[in-house]
Amino acid sequence: MSVRIYRQKWKDASLLLPIILFLGVFFLIPLIGLLVQSVTQPQLGLTNFAELLATSTYLKVLGNTFLVATLVTIFAVLLGFPLAWCITLFPKGWGRFLLNVVLLSMWTSLLARTYSWLVLLQSSGVLNKILMGLGIIDQPLPLVHNLAGVIIGMTYIMIPFIVLPLQASMSAIDPMVLQAASICGASSRTVFFKVFLPLCKSGIFSGSLMVFVMSLGYYVTPALLGGVSNMMLPEFIVQQVQNFLNWGIASASASILIAVTLVLFYLYLKVQTESPTSSNTKD
Amino acid sequence: MLLTQQSLGWKIKSALYFITGSIAAFLALPIFFIIALSFGSSQWLVFPPPSWTIKWYERFFSNPQWIESALTSLQVAIITSILATLIALPASFALVRGKFPGRDYLYSLFTLPMIVPVVIIAVATYSMFLSLGLTGTLVAFVISHVIVAVPFAMISIINSLKLFDQSIENAAVICGAHRLQAILKVTFPSIKPGIFAGALFAFLVSWDEVVISVMMASPELQTLPVKMWSTLRQDLTPVIAVASTLLIFLSLFIMLAANFLRKRSH
Repeated sequence: MSVRIYRQKWKDASLLLPIILFLGVFFLIPLIGLLVQSVTQPQLGLTNFAELLATSTYLKVLGNTFLVATLVTIFAVLLGFPLAWCITLFPKGWGRFLLNVVLLSMWTSLLARTYSWLVLLQSSGVLNKILMGLGIIDQPLPLVHNLAGVIIGMTYIMIPFIVLPLQASMSAIDPMVLQAASICGASSRTVFFKVFLPLCKSGIFSGSLMVFVMSLGYYVTPALLGGVSNMMLPEFIVQQVQNFLNWGIASASASILIAVTLVLFYLYLKVQTESPTSSNTKD
Repeated sequence: MLLTQQSLGWKIKSALYFITGSIAAFLALPIFFIIALSFGSSQWLVFPPPSWTIKWYERFFSNPQWIESALTSLQVAIITSILATLIALPASFALVRGKFPGRDYLYSLFTLPMIVPVVIIAVATYSMFLSLGLTGTLVAFVISHVIVAVPFAMISIINSLKLFDQSIENAAVICGAHRLQAILKVTFPSIKPGIFAGALFAFLVSWDEVVISVMMASPELQTLPVKMWSTLRQDLTPVIAVASTLLIFLSLFIMLAANFLRKRSH
């Protein structure tokens, strides 16, 4: 390696100095500090993790977190799939419109949307009124401050995050492949389940992985729409810090959340084949 | 064939239209609902409201606490947006153009603040600022917001930089321009929309940030989402619908602006 190339490399890399310094000092060091605290506060050892996995209330929080994330992922895929399909079916006009609805909902203030669901779902809210007006129910359904509220609110938030990757993988499918299958005599049903769906698989997989990870770490929506009995991990962590000053347990649960998130993110990167920094993208 | 409209049977097609229509309505519903509610007269958030009024807007704009928190939000978001862009800009150049190994890993590392749950970033930075005695200050707000805003700015700048044909810049260098001169006079003007879009995204991330802000806030210094959050915990007053509506329109405006800038860069 000649000295000049070596120097050039250093010059290129030095542009990273601001971001490395900033994220290093204010992001990585506090994060590592949190991980260290989980085994040092209040004493050295794994007592926090042992306590976390032995106390039934803590275990309930963990179980509830994974239950909610799983249910939200399933519902988001079920609702996101037809939407992504329709956007792909109409690349212009209505498809563009639907895509804009998705983007609008994604970028609208999270707090505003969650507040809106709080009002919509309350026992004197619009949804209960409509259902009672139609004579479907006699008494208002408990739709908020419980598991149902969290699932509705979170699924709503997550739909855009499944539609966008799914739509990308659908529009990458060559229509000729599907045509070939039907020319060869496959019924629509066979084409859908044996050809179309398998081709969407990577989109479904990466999308649902992202939704699952995001659901595990969401704070605002579950905290506002959930009840006391179905607390999730993020709210639990904040509560341990703010109300009980219990940094050990908070750090230990944060460590579990970080570990699960990073493992799933690594899987996500494996599924995504295209490198984000390579310059030969087909855009 | 399932990717063209003609190929689907009418039964599947109408079912698909109906389902998609309902889901799209589901996505748009809360946004329209909240805007309508902010003009409703009933303080019990009855829908449809008995009559229409702007009294909640008057109440919002006459309350110094709401105005102050909105101004704090604006201040924090503007500083965050500028700082995040200044940090992301050189990093984007290095990641797209650099010849050093491990660029993909570094990219993943820098986007980590998008992946790590916000609540963890909130608790970690809170712990740091607590030991430094900086919680409840503007500095704490800005630093913690820049952490989550940097990846958004960086991704936008990287995308526009990848679309820029570097041979134009090289041509300027061959014609006798210094490399820095070429970047400033040739490259910057053409990736400017991407940089501005990145700054707008960073602004939006900061403007809408709740979790970190709730941890950083003090009774004296809070952003609009924090004020909304603490009010929400007490009651569901329509004044929050007003604040929400303002947030919705600001997001909409910024999204349209960013979209416009991105289109111009193509």
